[in-house]
Amino acid sequence: MSSLELINPNAEHISKSQALMINMAAAKGLQAVLRSNLGPKGTLKMLVGGAGQIKLTKDGNTLLHEMQIQHPTATLIARAATATDDTVGDGTTSTVLFTGELLKQAERYLGEGLHPRVVVDGFDVAKAKLMEFTDSFAKEFPDLAQDREQLCNIVRTTLQTKLRVELVDKLTDIVVDALLCIRVPEQAIDLHMVEILHMQHKLDLQTRLVRGLVLDHGARHPDMPSHLEKVWIMTLNVSLEYEKSEVTSNFMYKTAEERENMVVAERKFTDDKVKQIIEFKKQLVADNPGTTLLIVNQKGIDPPSLDMLAKEGILGLRRAKRRNMERLTLACGGVQINSVEELSQDMLGFADEVYEDTLGEDKFTFIEGVRNAHSCTILVKGQNPHTIAQIKDAIRDGLRSAKNAIEHPKLLAGAGAYEIAAHQFLIKEKDNVKGRAKLGVQAFADALLIIPKSLAENSGFDLQDTLIELQEAYQKDPANPVGLDVVSGKPIFPEQQGIWDGMIVKKSVVHLSTILASQLLLVDEMMRAGRGSRPKDPNMPEM
Amino acid sequence: MAMFNQQVGLQGLLKDGGKHFSGVDEALLKNIEACKNLAQITKSSLGPYGMNKLIVNHLGRHFVTSDTNTIVTELEVMHPAAKLIVMAAKSQEQESGDGTNLCVSFGGELLLRAEELLKEGIHANDVYKGYELARDKALECLNAQVAWSCEDLKSVEQLTKCVKTAISSKQLGCEGPLAKLVAEACVQVMPPTPSKFDVDNVRVTKVQGGNLNSSFVVEGMAIARRSSGVENCKEKAKVAIYAEALELGSTETKGTVLLESAEQLMNFSKGEEQKMEEMIRAIKEVGVDVVISGGTISDMALHFLNKYKIFALKINSKFELRRVCRTVGATSIVRSGPPLPEECGYVESIKVEEISSEPFTIIKTRDSKISTVVLRSASPNVLDELERAIDNAVNVVRCTARDPRFVAGAGATEIELAHQLQQFGATVPGLDQYAVLKFAEALEVVPKILAENAGHSHVDAITALYAAHQKGETAAGIDVDAGPVCNALEKGILDHMETKRWAIRFTLDAVLTVLKVDQIIMAKQAGGPKGGGDGNRDDD
Repeated sequence: MSSLELINPNAEHISKSQALMINMAAAKGLQAVLRSNLGPKGTLKMLVGGAGQIKLTKDGNTLLHEMQIQHPTATLIARAATATDDTVGDGTTSTVLFTGELLKQAERYLGEGLHPRVVVDGFDVAKAKLMEFTDSFAKEFPDLAQDREQLCNIVRTTLQTKLRVELVDKLTDIVVDALLCIRVPEQAIDLHMVEILHMQHKLDLQTRLVRGLVLDHGARHPDMPSHLEKVWIMTLNVSLEYEKSEVTSNFMYKTAEERENMVVAERKFTDDKVKQIIEFKKQLVADNPGTTLLIVNQKGIDPPSLDMLAKEGILGLRRAKRRNMERLTLACGGVQINSVEELSQDMLGFADEVYEDTLGEDKFTFIEGVRNAHSCTILVKGQNPHTIAQIKDAIRDGLRSAKNAIEHPKLLAGAGAYEIAAHQFLIKEKDNVKGRAKLGVQAFADALLIIPKSLAENSGFDLQDTLIELQEAYQKDPANPVGLDVVSGKPIFPEQQGIWDGMIVKKSVVHLSTILASQLLLVDEMMRAGRGSRPKDPNMPEM
Repeated sequence: MAMFNQQVGLQGLLKDGGKHFSGVDEALLKNIEACKNLAQITKSSLGPYGMNKLIVNHLGRHFVTSDTNTIVTELEVMHPAAKLIVMAAKSQEQESGDGTNLCVSFGGELLLRAEELLKEGIHANDVYKGYELARDKALECLNAQVAWSCEDLKSVEQLTKCVKTAISSKQLGCEGPLAKLVAEACVQVMPPTPSKFDVDNVRVTKVQGGNLNSSFVVEGMAIARRSSGVENCKEKAKVAIYAEALELGSTETKGTVLLESAEQLMNFSKGEEQKMEEMIRAIKEVGVDVVISGGTISDMALHFLNKYKIFALKINSKFELRRVCRTVGATSIVRSGPPLPEECGYVESIKVEEISSEPFTIIKTRDSKISTVVLRSASPNVLDELERAIDNAVNVVRCTARDPRFVAGAGATEIELAHQLQQFGATVPGLDQYAVLKFAEALEVVPKILAENAGHSHVDAITALYAAHQKGETAAGIDVDAGPVCNALEKGILDHMETKRWAIRFTLDAVLTVLKVDQIIMAKQAGGPKGGGDGNRDDD
């Protein structure tokens, strides 16, 4: 009986090597699940939610989020791995794989009686050395924003691991174009300026980039035009409907006539605003013949006002989303208008074409043909919700990796080349390390190989053969990093093939995994205090 | 030690009640099994001699139908893989409105064939590649199969030809009169640019009683409701449509009537009456004889409408009101007061009629944008089934308006594709060729079921078909009556090409997804009611 049980008889606890075993089992279990995800040839996982909703994914991040993990150690790893994604936008699967592998490699030495602390010390030494190596191994691309081809390469590398090939080619262009569209030199890139909207119809290959904005609602009046050309766009934030007074008010009247007058007076307030807009529109069209007007209002427009606008051929959209208001001015120009007094032409945006598309009961308004846009829309199409979700996740990751690349323009050769080079480097460095920490460095170096190993495994090649072939090829010519060709199983030069990973992604993967693994290794007691909330399972062996 | 349960692998990490399958045996073959079972259900409903299913859904409603979309919707498929096939069918329904059975049956058949290959030890990836290859080839071959094009969308005769096959697969025996009804209705509302044809413009009103032959098409609308006032019939009349209730305007802010004497009280009602009369008189003075309101018509308003002999009709549904607007060419008015001349619509006639002791207001117009098929039949189930057949047929017209090309039906196209794929398969190097050949075999499912459902031997039929296609008779299909083989074109059996194309695409998409999945992770079934759509839609 341990001391804890004396203090609290309900507490559960495990100690010493047993605790370590449990941590290892969890890390390895998680690794086993995610292992088949890695790389372009990874397989799909089907996640079925509680209500029967389907999600198909290859993305480690999505998988860890959606899987209902309960095991405490596994949760810890999953949370940390998804945190990598939150900071750098990619690398979830690698983090889980690497963490699992670090523990697995450490297990060998621990089994021979080595103290975990020694292994962890070795990990720390190896990590510090690896970070230095990474900086020298990386290639810098200072003008990445101008180099569209290189950007495409990075995005393609990310997307390849999430989607099938045809779709990757299509989305790579879309993502890069979108990013270049919203980028303002010398400013941080705000990815929120890319609106991602989905329409559930047609095929996933019909996903496209709209230079302009697509709003997921339409006009609420049957007589409003559904197609406009040469459109001025008014980004409005004025309520065009009756607003109740803030104080409690009451109308008193004696005759029906009085009431009638009050009805008219009440309306007049809103009508006047609409009339001002209409006057402005008339002047606008007189100055610029052949043009039309679209009003996108963040507030409401009531039916009588809609009716007045419709009679003038103005397309009015009400209750637009706030984020779209911001994007709208960026996409089309103009400023957000908060008052209908003193309207002028330079407050408006302009687009060549505005049209409405209906999909079942949902309406979409397309604003296309804008000049000098700093916001755009990626219109995702797909035949079912899970396809759309898959594409959306991929786009999100693609955008993030491109953004990272522009902001931190240091890249590493992909396709496992970095890991092979790093392994080689650490094995050499091992000789410079004194004492038992050597073992930790060795374990760390071996663990790195999990990435090329999984790549080979998922592509259906023999693990050892492929790995040795790659290592030999690299040893022959250390100036050229060597990666794995997932189609042929032969060594390739990823730098020539355009397979690039962002350096900060790899760095944070290595960093985080090492910390995680070290912490898990150093745990020697696990306990849960308090009352056992769940009934005891009779099949479960007592400790 | 409940916290650190010692189950191995993933199972030990997941929340209780979750399930996890992986690998070919556990995940893939099980998925295939489920899809096969689903296809088994719908298979027997394919074609003109397809059987009906009686389904009682969770609300206790009965359906007697051979429409696959209805079947799969009401079945509430829970299995994730089978659900993928159902989704393919749903996408097909949305895209083309027809060909759902092809999706499910063909999908099931493809997976069945894939299973054979997997059991022989071919890797799922090879099957995947082969199916992809075969799909691309099949879609390419399909283009060369065009047998007929609908040139004139304004011709009742040609449209009848278009929709006949679709209807006969649902309602054998009624296809003649039904196809004609649909064609008439569609021609009436066909816009100058046919690609803008909207299925919403062909309405179906079901009336129980009588029989199919007494069904008719109204150029305009038939609304199951009588007029609110005493006027029952107007001809060549101007129409005003009010979106809001027909009553005296009231303020948004709460109003109180402040009365100080009995006299004022009397004057108040008098004043109200006067106001109302003024309003109705003004409407009458514009020349309006028919008033339709989207809200209530107050008793007082009704009194004056009757007094001025104005036909009054109330329509509760906002969408129905919009359709009426389109029918008569009016703009709905959101204020009170007389309509402007351009806001008025015009009807040839509007009258209340009784059909099988149900009152109907029939609105007839010239050049209407909406036409209505008034369906008559004995029982609600038959009516529902007829309506589904009409829906399908109208969707075929919609697709035809976008792409007028047709291919030979009765399984002729499928066999021809299979025939060409077999030749193509022989030229494919590598393991994918087995999958290409299996794809071709799977295509045979259509003529096979057609023959089977009609009571012929499918072996004889398929053999005879292949023989015919070998000779170059590309239009040879299954003859469901005399059997086994006929010329589908001569019999006027035509399938819409784009519909077929989408069906193949969607099916393959679902099938390939099923083949790609190697792990399924299922969460515990959630209890309680299912979450509906979001409740904050911006509705008018």
